Amino acid sequence: MRVNQNLVPDVLADLQQTQTALNTALQEVSTGKSVNVPSDNPAASASMVQNTIETKDVDQYTQNVSSVLSTVQSADSALSSVVSSLTTAVTLGTEGANGTTNASDQQEVATQVQGILTSVVSEANTSLQGSYLFGGTASTEVPYTADSTSASGYTYNGNNGVNSVTVGDDLTVQSNIPGSQIFSNSSNDVLGSLSSLVTALQGGNSADIETATNAVNSALSYVSQQRVIYANAETQLNSQENYLQQETVSLTSQATSLVGIDTATAATDLAQAQTANSAALAAAAKVLPTTLLDYLVPPQS
Amino acid sequence: MPDLASMGGLNTSLLIGTQALEAAQGALTATSNNIANSNTPGYTREIPQFAESEQSQSGNEIIGGGVSLTGLQSVRDELLNLQIQSQTSLQSSVDTQSSSLQQIQTYFSSTGTDIASALSAFSSDLTQLSASPSSSAVQQEVLSSGQNLANAFNNTASGLTSAQSSADTQVTQTVSQINSLTTQIAQLNGQISQLTADGQSGGTVQDQRDELVQQLSQLTGISVMQGSDGETITTGNGTPLVMGDSSYSLQTTTGSDGMQHVLDSNGNDITSSIQGGQLGGAIQIRDQVIPGYLAQLNTLASQFAASFNAAQAEGFDSNGNAGQNFFSVPATGAAAGMSVAISDPSLIAISSDGSAGSNGNVANLSASLTSALPSGQTVSQAYANLVDQVGTAASDASTQSTAIGQNLLQLTNQQSSVSGVSIDEETTNLIRFQTAYEAAARIVSTIQQLNTDTINMIS
Repeated sequence: MRVNQNLVPDVLADLQQTQTALNTALQEVSTGKSVNVPSDNPAASASMVQNTIETKDVDQYTQNVSSVLSTVQSADSALSSVVSSLTTAVTLGTEGANGTTNASDQQEVATQVQGILTSVVSEANTSLQGSYLFGGTASTEVPYTADSTSASGYTYNGNNGVNSVTVGDDLTVQSNIPGSQIFSNSSNDVLGSLSSLVTALQGGNSADIETATNAVNSALSYVSQQRVIYANAETQLNSQENYLQQETVSLTSQATSLVGIDTATAATDLAQAQTANSAALAAAAKVLPTTLLDYLVPPQS
Repeated sequence: MPDLASMGGLNTSLLIGTQALEAAQGALTATSNNIANSNTPGYTREIPQFAESEQSQSGNEIIGGGVSLTGLQSVRDELLNLQIQSQTSLQSSVDTQSSSLQQIQTYFSSTGTDIASALSAFSSDLTQLSASPSSSAVQQEVLSSGQNLANAFNNTASGLTSAQSSADTQVTQTVSQINSLTTQIAQLNGQISQLTADGQSGGTVQDQRDELVQQLSQLTGISVMQGSDGETITTGNGTPLVMGDSSYSLQTTTGSDGMQHVLDSNGNDITSSIQGGQLGGAIQIRDQVIPGYLAQLNTLASQFAASFNAAQAEGFDSNGNAGQNFFSVPATGAAAGMSVAISDPSLIAISSDGSAGSNGNVANLSASLTSALPSGQTVSQAYANLVDQVGTAASDASTQSTAIGQNLLQLTNQQSSVSGVSIDEETTNLIRFQTAYEAAARIVSTIQQLNTDTINMIS
């Protein structure tokens, strides 16, 4: 059989092939990605759509966790001072109910309890970055303002709304307790009971003072119970933070295995592609120019 | 005693010598022509055909009549040519699609402005809204990432449309190239039948025609038949392009879909039946592949927008009013025309109870990203599916192109081994014919010497 003498198409095809391999290897090493366009690996590119979205979401969940955490901690610390204020009020009430306390002392105690009421109201009006923590979802309005027509002397401007903040794909955490639930609950009215205590102390009737003190005491234990909601939220947020950290790691490693490169392999591939390309070029340079004419002695003249 | 008159005399030898000189010279011409055309595309090597001249008999002696060059034969394998033509059509169709898909798939790559990136930013900004429902900065972010998402849909759709319109332009251009080639082929067909009728070999003209047919097969899938009056060329589905020395030109006209349609010489629309070649590839991409992607993208855009708007309607904006549409999408071309309907971030329906600090409706807004659309897939699944389709199509096209390329290389090598010029072979022939020419020249000079000797005998 006659042999094909024209090596050019073959040589060109080989050169093109090695050049393509070299380009691919170079691109992988320089971009650090094995998938740069969907055709490089369609399935991995499709999976990366979900991965990109989840990675971004997990970042945001982590930010939400720390933002809710600071809200919850501020609210909890406000409630903690309310608890100690109420404890002081109970002590003062017990003192006031004691038969040995004279009328002027009772007036003195009444003033102190009034002061406690004011400070509890100010805790109930705690705000963080411009939003009030105990106003329900009406977080832009001051929850408690003075109102002489109200029995407690204060009126609630907030609502009963509760916000649940997303901190995971299927996890939300309650970020607030409305003031109507903690401070002006009809069965355990913190502000109302303090206000009644002040009135009772001013009236000087020991039995009234004792009743009012008991009411403050029960409000105290109610507030302590409510703090558990925040404590639980805090625990949940801390464990979610750990989970999200792991999630970030696993998403990153998923992304690497989908579209990333193994540096060592990529570098080896590059070296191999380089060698193959040089070899193909060298072979082309040796083979192409050779014909019989190279070996014929020119005719002697 | 033999018949002296019929015996080969010196003149016979001289005649044989001269014929040998002519034959060797003809062979040398053929060889030099082969060498000269060794790199001419479509050139088929020619080999000189020698034949013994008629011998003469005188008595018992048979005397050879020398040599004659009966002609030059082009060495071609028609079957191989046909195979090469069909593979060429296939490859240029796949290549056309591949280059278009390469262009398309960049819009589906993770560039930071693609739909996946825009979706992820939108999703995470919505999540942030859950933690800071009353922050106007965060609301603004959601609004702008919503705009970015709409833009990403717009860009992807316009990328697809622009690839479609460049395929459309290619259709018109290719048709005019096809017409120019078929005209030339018909002319050459005429020349060849003329030459054949005159008893001549149409070698070089045939080479030219084969080369043009080869070029034609790059433009569209063709079928070639050898007839009594030269080659008959039709498209794959039988629309005549060349019959003998007449050519039938194709036309293009703008169809009801705004695209260029291909008509045969009688004005029938043959667009959908054209396959292979650049024309077939461009039509396939323009009428099948891209419309398929666009339809999916439009469905995705309109279903997602509807789902998000429904979530908006479930809540209240920061002013306490019921949520209005966030996205607006036209009924047709949803992806290309998608836009954000509101410009005021306070119109995002964040609240579930009408108060500004509530985040109750954010969960509904986020859910429109993570729950299944009417298509049965979530927005990210549907988009990922589209990425997978585009990627697979692009990767298949380039794999196919490589495979056909290998096949074609094999066929071309085979053709080259039959028809190609080998410099080595021609050099060897050159030496062979040179020697033959020198020897024949020696015969002539020897006879001349003998004649001189004979004449000198007389004087």
